[in-house]
Amino acid sequence: MLELHHVSKAYAEERQVLSNLTYTLKAGEYVAVMGESGVGKSTLLNLVAGLDTPDSGEVVIDGVVISKLNDDDATLLRRKTLGFIFQAFHILPHLTLKQNIALPLLLNNMPAHRIELMLAEVGLSGRGDHFPHQLSGGELQRVAIARALVHRPRLVLADEPTGNLDPDTAHDILQLIRTEIKKNGASGILVTHSHTAAATADAVLIMTKHGLRKAESVRSG
Amino acid sequence: MPIAAALAMFLFATLHSQLQAGDREYAPVIPGNALVFPQDYGAHPDFRIEWWYVTGWLETAENKALGFQVTFFRTATRHHLDNPSRFAPRQLIIAHAALSDPELGRLLYGEKTARAGFDLAYARKGNTDVKLDDWYFKREPDGRYVTEVQAEEFSFQLSLTPTQAIMLQGERGFSRKGPNTEQASYYYSEPHLDVSGTVIQEGKSLAVHGQAWLDHEWSSEILDPRADGWDWMSANLNDGSALMAFRIRGKQGSKLWAYGTRRDAAGRVTQFNPGQVEFIPERTWESPHTKATYPVEMRVRTGKMEWRLVPLLDDQELDSRGSAGAVYWEGAVIVFQNGENVGKGYLELTGYVQPLEL
Amino acid sequence: MNTSTLSRWLLLGEWRARFVQVIVAVMAIAIGVALGFSIHLINTAAFNEFSAASKNLSGQSDLQVYSKQGYFDELLYPKLAQFKGIELINPVLEFTVPVPGEHGVEYDRKLRILGIDMFRAADISPDLLGVPVEGQPMDSLSDDAIFLSPAAMKWLQVKQGDMLQFNVGTQTIELRVAGGVTRARAGQRIGVMDIGAAQWRFNYLGLLSRIELKLDTGIHHAAFKAELEKELGAQFFITEVVEQEARLASMSRAYRVNLNMLALVALFTGAFLVFSTQALSVARRRSQFALLRVLGFTRLHLLRLVVTEGVVLGVVGSFLGLALGYGFAALVIRFFGGDLGSGFFSDIQPGLYMDSVVAMLYFSVGLGVTMLGTVLPARDAMRIKPAIALKSSQESNAIDCLSVPWPAIVCLSLALLLAQLPPVYGLPVFGYLAIALLLIGGLALMPYFAARFFSFALSTVNKRFNCGKLHATVLMVLARLANVPGQASVALSGVLASFSLMVAMAIMVLSFRVSVDNWLEHVLPADLYVRAADSGRQGGFSPSEQKSLTELSEFSRIEFLRYQKMVLDPHRPEITLIARPVDSMDPRNTLPIIGEYIAPGQLSNHERPVWVSEAMVDLYGYNVGKQIMIPVGNELHSFIVAGVWRDYGRQFGAVQIQLSDYQELSNDMSINTAAAWLHSPVTMDEAYDALRRLPYGDMLEITQSQSIRDTSLKIFDRSFAVTYLLEIIAVIIGLLGVAASFSVQMLARSKEFGMLRHIGVTRTQVLTLLAAEGGLLTALGVALGFVLGWCISLILIFIVNPQSFHWTMQLYMPWNWLLLIAGIMLISASITALIAGRRAVSGSVVRAVREDW
Repeated sequence: MLELHHVSKAYAEERQVLSNLTYTLKAGEYVAVMGESGVGKSTLLNLVAGLDTPDSGEVVIDGVVISKLNDDDATLLRRKTLGFIFQAFHILPHLTLKQNIALPLLLNNMPAHRIELMLAEVGLSGRGDHFPHQLSGGELQRVAIARALVHRPRLVLADEPTGNLDPDTAHDILQLIRTEIKKNGASGILVTHSHTAAATADAVLIMTKHGLRKAESVRSG
Repeated sequence: MPIAAALAMFLFATLHSQLQAGDREYAPVIPGNALVFPQDYGAHPDFRIEWWYVTGWLETAENKALGFQVTFFRTATRHHLDNPSRFAPRQLIIAHAALSDPELGRLLYGEKTARAGFDLAYARKGNTDVKLDDWYFKREPDGRYVTEVQAEEFSFQLSLTPTQAIMLQGERGFSRKGPNTEQASYYYSEPHLDVSGTVIQEGKSLAVHGQAWLDHEWSSEILDPRADGWDWMSANLNDGSALMAFRIRGKQGSKLWAYGTRRDAAGRVTQFNPGQVEFIPERTWESPHTKATYPVEMRVRTGKMEWRLVPLLDDQELDSRGSAGAVYWEGAVIVFQNGENVGKGYLELTGYVQPLEL
Repeated sequence: MNTSTLSRWLLLGEWRARFVQVIVAVMAIAIGVALGFSIHLINTAAFNEFSAASKNLSGQSDLQVYSKQGYFDELLYPKLAQFKGIELINPVLEFTVPVPGEHGVEYDRKLRILGIDMFRAADISPDLLGVPVEGQPMDSLSDDAIFLSPAAMKWLQVKQGDMLQFNVGTQTIELRVAGGVTRARAGQRIGVMDIGAAQWRFNYLGLLSRIELKLDTGIHHAAFKAELEKELGAQFFITEVVEQEARLASMSRAYRVNLNMLALVALFTGAFLVFSTQALSVARRRSQFALLRVLGFTRLHLLRLVVTEGVVLGVVGSFLGLALGYGFAALVIRFFGGDLGSGFFSDIQPGLYMDSVVAMLYFSVGLGVTMLGTVLPARDAMRIKPAIALKSSQESNAIDCLSVPWPAIVCLSLALLLAQLPPVYGLPVFGYLAIALLLIGGLALMPYFAARFFSFALSTVNKRFNCGKLHATVLMVLARLANVPGQASVALSGVLASFSLMVAMAIMVLSFRVSVDNWLEHVLPADLYVRAADSGRQGGFSPSEQKSLTELSEFSRIEFLRYQKMVLDPHRPEITLIARPVDSMDPRNTLPIIGEYIAPGQLSNHERPVWVSEAMVDLYGYNVGKQIMIPVGNELHSFIVAGVWRDYGRQFGAVQIQLSDYQELSNDMSINTAAAWLHSPVTMDEAYDALRRLPYGDMLEITQSQSIRDTSLKIFDRSFAVTYLLEIIAVIIGLLGVAASFSVQMLARSKEFGMLRHIGVTRTQVLTLLAAEGGLLTALGVALGFVLGWCISLILIFIVNPQSFHWTMQLYMPWNWLLLIAGIMLISASITALIAGRRAVSGSVVRAVREDW
């Protein structure tokens, strides 16, 4: 589903972030990526999302080389194929929950019937006409999860989704992410510093400046 | 001969040059034309220039001596001959007045100029009657003159009563002023005028009396173009005689022309031709105002007689360049003969200003 | 270390972060202050020079005696000279004569000539004496010489020794340029000559225009003046130099005040910009302020921080404004002289004078306006509740408190009330207050209105949303505009203020222009107008010349007009008396009568009608039916006001009477102007030829009414050029406001755009979003600005103009122009929003998503 072929990226001559990274994510697979700060996790996500282009190598999503697409085509691919969950939620304050969740549907010209469903899925049924400022942090992230999955993306990228949440809420959210990814048949990449969080994924990848390697012990969360 | 006045420098050159243009002839001064009185006391508007010139000595109640001078000029322009406007400046009236106060150490001076017209300024024919706003000089039917001037620093109102007959200068009033006979004027004097009146100075009104000398002279052409300046003196002598002398100076102090006359108390007149009149500088004074050097003390020789003139005060210089344009020395002098004070007079020195480059 | 150090760090940090916005705000203040200050400087310089020049003409005299008809018998001069208490007296004959221009005679090119008696003038106005060349001192008295000021020599392109021709009636005279004038003001065009020569050559024999008096020291001026006035009678009036100055000031005051008002309006537009910058900056830093509060900043500290920012902006902006204003004024004076287009100060060349008091005043106005713009944001910063602000990213705004419509409605109602009040000292003070209140009210109503409007739009599109057919961009744009009205209004305030002002000016100027055009058509019915130079006090055409004109077969009709200047009130400028044949059956055929009038039949035989201009009603209270006294000939005569006519030509008033009445009362049979109608087959060229063939043909100025109309409109346009400049500046300030508020928003919204880019919004869509936001906001601003501007234009047209200039006009709408400007505003606002928003599609917004402070 996602293939990385010899991907390298440097921001300056001395700051080689990714060098010759090769990895393949199978369809339906949900992995966690861990690693020290600055090792290139964010860069990896940007390259996968087509928001950045590698210096060399290819990023392939479902057979399409996204790293070769121009910005508009990459954006179209992204809006259709990817879903995002951020640490800071990024729910538009001036839109209702329903409208926030609807954004990917509207962008993809898809019917709106999944909104209520997703609201129910994330446990916010009946609150679709509320505004974001009426919600707690955990609830906001639930809205974000609904938004990330409402248009049935093939791949969900979650970047420290629980970084702003307390452990109990974090646990619920991580479970919800995993459940929703699996339920929608999507693949997922969870970038995190937390071993607890990483443990909710199918596999944990450790990212170093030499590349990605599988962690030795994987526990099911 | 107070030609020194403003108009000397101010008007002559132009009038002279314009005379050549010749669309107006001024009346000429011709020898042998007898003066007729009282008409000739009055103005002669056909002549280019005319003046009534009074100089004299005054004494206040406290026996303080003052010199005074008042002059009214009339000059005819050659402009506006056809101009029907009442403002047409065909005749100009100019008045000068000065007061020499030894206590002050300098001359007080006032002047006024106006075009004749609207009865505000005029020089009338028939009898002496000249006016310029609130300044006037007038001969009353009884022969007495009255004059009043209102200058900024002083004013005076005087009455001048003749004590002697008028004195015709030159050949019965025809007075030559240069080598050419055209360079002449009609000229008579009235010496030994008894003066009484009031002088107002610094707000104080002083009753004064004294003696004065009147010149009345009119002409159309006076000065030789070569003339540099002139020296003139008049004196009322204590013995009742009257003395007048002048010389016209050429370049480097040469004598272009001179004349003198003396009339004794009995009326006997002695005239002196150019060769008999000498002006010999005795002491000079440098003006702090203009840096000009004036021979303020003079020896004047008329025939065999010699007179020494000593000024009442040195600084009797008159600078009217701001308005009319001339700078000269005109002041009261004491007349000595053989070291003895024989009378009082006035001395006029013109053409002594150094070139302006200095 | 103390809090002030911290404040300084924060301040500098904030400005580094939003350098452009700070610069824009500073520039807005600077431009406002510069505009006001330079207009003030130019007008003051021009006015001072103008009054210095006229004072130069009257010298050091204490009193001046004038006649109401302009000229009087010279015999007053000796009579006055006899008065006790007069130290110096100076008779003056002053007049203007047309001088030859490039294209023959142009009777509007006039040289002012003073006839003086040099001996009298020497003590009172020595500056006016001619300076003869060396050796020609008598030229000062000469009957063929004229002395010209340097400016006059330059203007006439002559030098000393040249001959100069003048037209006097239908004759020509020649004068010799004998030299310069002792001390004329720079740019002052005057000629000086001997009074006797002037009387003779220019046909003013026996006449004087004024007598200047210097009184003896100790004489009580007022008492002397009163006594003299009694002695001289109503025909004469006596002025003191101070009064003359007041009279001059009143001539141009309305114009100057109106310009200053416009400049102030520009400054207030700048204030809105400061307000928007500060408000947005505070909004953006809510959590930063909350953090500071948590760290131990008191409310006062925060207040001080925000106020300090405002003060620094205000001080820098105002100071810059003073410098800019001074420079601008210097440039204008250097290249255009002191005349800002009104024509009041056209032939002077003023020197700039830096008045520190006025500079301080404009400085404090600039600073004050900035502070005004800082008050609400500062209050907002003080009210931040740290706990809430730290946690929630919800945007709040100083304008939110303005969402209540009541203050705005109070402002608007007050404006309505003030508009009804009369002028104060001849100035439309309340009219301008009403305009200010309208603006403030309109702006205050904005958030409420914007919220209502966009909510309505949003609810409309929501129906489509439920059908799932809504475009994401539309949703995001409308939702933002509807739900964050505060920010929307901030961006809008600049657009609203500038567009409404522009609309107001445009409507006013067009209404004025069309009214003037219509009026010109009415007052210039003939085909040709023929003028001759005045011959002294007489008009240029003598009866025999009039006869020869009427005998020309080329014309079907010839009408004669007699113009004269006169003074009715010594405290006011001269008015014009026009004597002409007025249609006795219906005066409306001759005059642009407005309102009620008395039909000639209603007057008895001994009552003479006079028709007065609107200004006469305002300034002198000459209402229809009133009996008034006007000096005609040498005496005052009684007339009945029979009607009021519109006059855009003479702001200070004009009256018209029947030519027959004039001739009967004054015995003056001369006329100045002949209006001629062509016989139908005669061409314009033939008519010109016929006129030129007259014995005095070369002396005539022949003008087609069309060209008079064109020239008049050209002059009109020129005099409004400065207002166009002000409008453009207002628009630029408005656009700067859009730019500033959008670029501030870009910082605040970078995460939003980052998220949108992540979820698949293309760059184009982001830009479309921005352009749409900018465009929609501007559209609303333009729509509201139009309504507001229309209201302001009504005040300008029906209140400010009649009160300042004493003329009324009809309302005309410049639709095309307004649409064009609205379009330009829309496009440029969208472009501005785009340029400000190009950050929204940069890589930094993608990263901003993960930045989390």
